[in-house]
Amino acid sequence: MSVDTRVNWGGVALRNPVLTASGTFGYGMEFAPFFDLTRIGGIVAKSLTLEPRIGHPPARIAEVPSGMLNAIGLENVGVDAFLNEKLPALPEGVTVVASVFGTDIESYAEVCKRLAGSRVAALEVNASCPHVKSGGMEFGQNPRVLAELVRATRQAASVPVAIKLSPNVTDIAELARVCEGEGADALSLINTLQVLDVDLKTRRPRLRNTLGGLSGPAILPLALRMVWQASRAVRIPVCGIGGIQSGEDAAKFLLCGATAVQVGTANYTNPRAALDVAEGLEAFAESQGVTRLTDLIGGLETEPA
Amino acid sequence: MTSLRVDAEVAENRDEGGANRRLRLRVPDWPGSAPGQFVMLSPGVRSSVERFDPLLPRPMAVYRVHDGCLEVLYKVTGRGTALLADARSGERVRVVGPLGKGFPESVGKCLLVGGGTGIASLYDLAARDRERSHVLLGARSQRDLMGQEDFAALGVALSIATEDGSTGSSGLVTALLERELETATNATVFACGPTPMMRASAEIAAKHGARCFVSLENPMACGIGVCQGCAAPRANGGYALVCRDGPVFDANEVLWEAMP
Ligand SMILES: Cc1cc2nc3c(=O)[nH]c(=O)nc-3n(C[C@H](O)[C@H](O)[C@H](O)COP(=O)(O)OP(=O)(O)OC[C@H]3O[C@@H](n4cnc5c(N)ncnc54)[C@H](O)[C@@H]3O)c2cc1C
Ligand SMILES: Cc1cc2nc3c(=O)[nH]c(=O)nc-3n(C[C@H](O)[C@H](O)[C@H](O)COP(=O)(O)O)c2cc1C
Ligand code: FES
Repeated sequence: MSVDTRVNWGGVALRNPVLTASGTFGYGMEFAPFFDLTRIGGIVAKSLTLEPRIGHPPARIAEVPSGMLNAIGLENVGVDAFLNEKLPALPEGVTVVASVFGTDIESYAEVCKRLAGSRVAALEVNASCPHVKSGGMEFGQNPRVLAELVRATRQAASVPVAIKLSPNVTDIAELARVCEGEGADALSLINTLQVLDVDLKTRRPRLRNTLGGLSGPAILPLALRMVWQASRAVRIPVCGIGGIQSGEDAAKFLLCGATAVQVGTANYTNPRAALDVAEGLEAFAESQGVTRLTDLIGGLETEPA
Repeated sequence: MTSLRVDAEVAENRDEGGANRRLRLRVPDWPGSAPGQFVMLSPGVRSSVERFDPLLPRPMAVYRVHDGCLEVLYKVTGRGTALLADARSGERVRVVGPLGKGFPESVGKCLLVGGGTGIASLYDLAARDRERSHVLLGARSQRDLMGQEDFAALGVALSIATEDGSTGSSGLVTALLERELETATNATVFACGPTPMMRASAEIAAKHGARCFVSLENPMACGIGVCQGCAAPRANGGYALVCRDGPVFDANEVLWEAMP
């Protein structure tokens, strides 16, 4: 028996539902030594700003139980270098999603414009970075500002636009509805959780930025909850992100309503993680007698049997 | 040199005195590596049951490839290395590597300065430039010294300093460097160890007009240039990624006062 793994994420046809999460996969070619990049659904590259950006001073990362903290500060090569150097290096068969970031709505829109006409299959608007001073999370927390951001990026883009939402909010369903209402083609969630950890020896924060974002297996149940709430609130497809390490983890997200998933921190512990998740998801479906992965989507049963 | 990801069989994991251990791994497809390159090692054994704590792999220098095994010399300092110490022969640990850029070629005399776990980064370099190398090793005490017999067996010039004087001269390894540079001409310094030691080595080398390369040990998550967690401040602005642009750097490229 073979499993039909194809899904459609807001107008983007994916050969399987497994993508890589922005900021955890570089610009893609870093992983070429480890597996054939055309075998996963696609890659989401590091968030791009209009100009190249230097990140935060170190320490930028710290390990915590079943997770890690980061405050990188969105260091990236800038949209032009992405278009001229990084994108052409990727083999043709790789589906590429560009992540877009800005410090104001105009700069978000300008990055979208520069990407128009390139081979990127979709844009993911990062409205949720928890640890840069201006931009990012603020955009994803205030419904009015979020609406404006969705409208502006949607207008500037020539391909489907997904909005990446922050978990650092009280009502994810409301924000999901705002995105849908303004014409977003899809949603991605979650970004990292805003956190703090302390070095007892120095009595200082473990990250130089004081606050950071938590990612990894520790956040999976929270991500499932938010994906479930968001996907029930809207009709546009949701990409589930947070702590995914295996095909079984990915299957949970599909059952909670996700159409696709992204693998993040797992790429650090296993540079073949995205392919392992894609293969594991297919194997899981096969073991359950599921012939199409789309049959899993939203299949969570909450009523007593 | 392309990098591998393999779950390598432990051939041996033995106590080397103090908190030091030697891990020997069977990696049949190992593509070879340059002196100064490193691997990311899973923090403990990989079993049929996934374990997520500790989560991140640990960066470790390729000590050498010997008797068909990839060797790592490591010190048990925290939870990850303590779990690694439990790995028994026949069990598997994940290896990703070789990674990073190693030590550059040099001419003239090589002064290799190793402190603590940094010593492990220098063996292959000493083996490469055996005739021209003088190895200076430093540790707190005799039992903390790594790989001393191996360096001795290479037949390189070897000097030792311990802080408690239990072997070699008493004091810091940088004092040995200072002494060597008084007489050496056209020498290149290669240093790996704690940041203050590398910084001091760089300053001493600069004072004597010698070039100095350092191998930085910043915390890492991915080891392959994608998380940007291992940033080291550059003297001319911005950050270098230790795993991708290093771990070896010209000491002048590093903005020492901003190193974490
Ligand atoms: C390029 C490179 C090569 C290295 N080579 C060796 C080697 O050959 N032998 C050896 O014994 N050690 C080496 N180290 C240091 C080694 O990585 C740390 O000692 C180890 O990560 C400590 O892990 P832990 O779980 O025991 O400590 P914990 O303190 O529990 O670790 C917590 C976190 O901090 C990180 N961390 C802690 N100390 C260090 C450190 N000194 N450097 C980098 N990350 C650290 C860990 O990786 C982990 O993510 C090297 C480091 C680098 C960057
Ligand atoms: C080091 C690091 C850098 C990240 N950079 C970005 C980024 O540039 N843009 C973005 O949208 N998300 C970024 N993220 C968030 C991830 O894409 C993902 O949403 C989050 O890590 C949760 O997934 P995970 O638990 O699988 O890692 C980053 C995460 C990490 C750990
Ligand atoms: S450790 Fe991830 S970029 Fe260097």
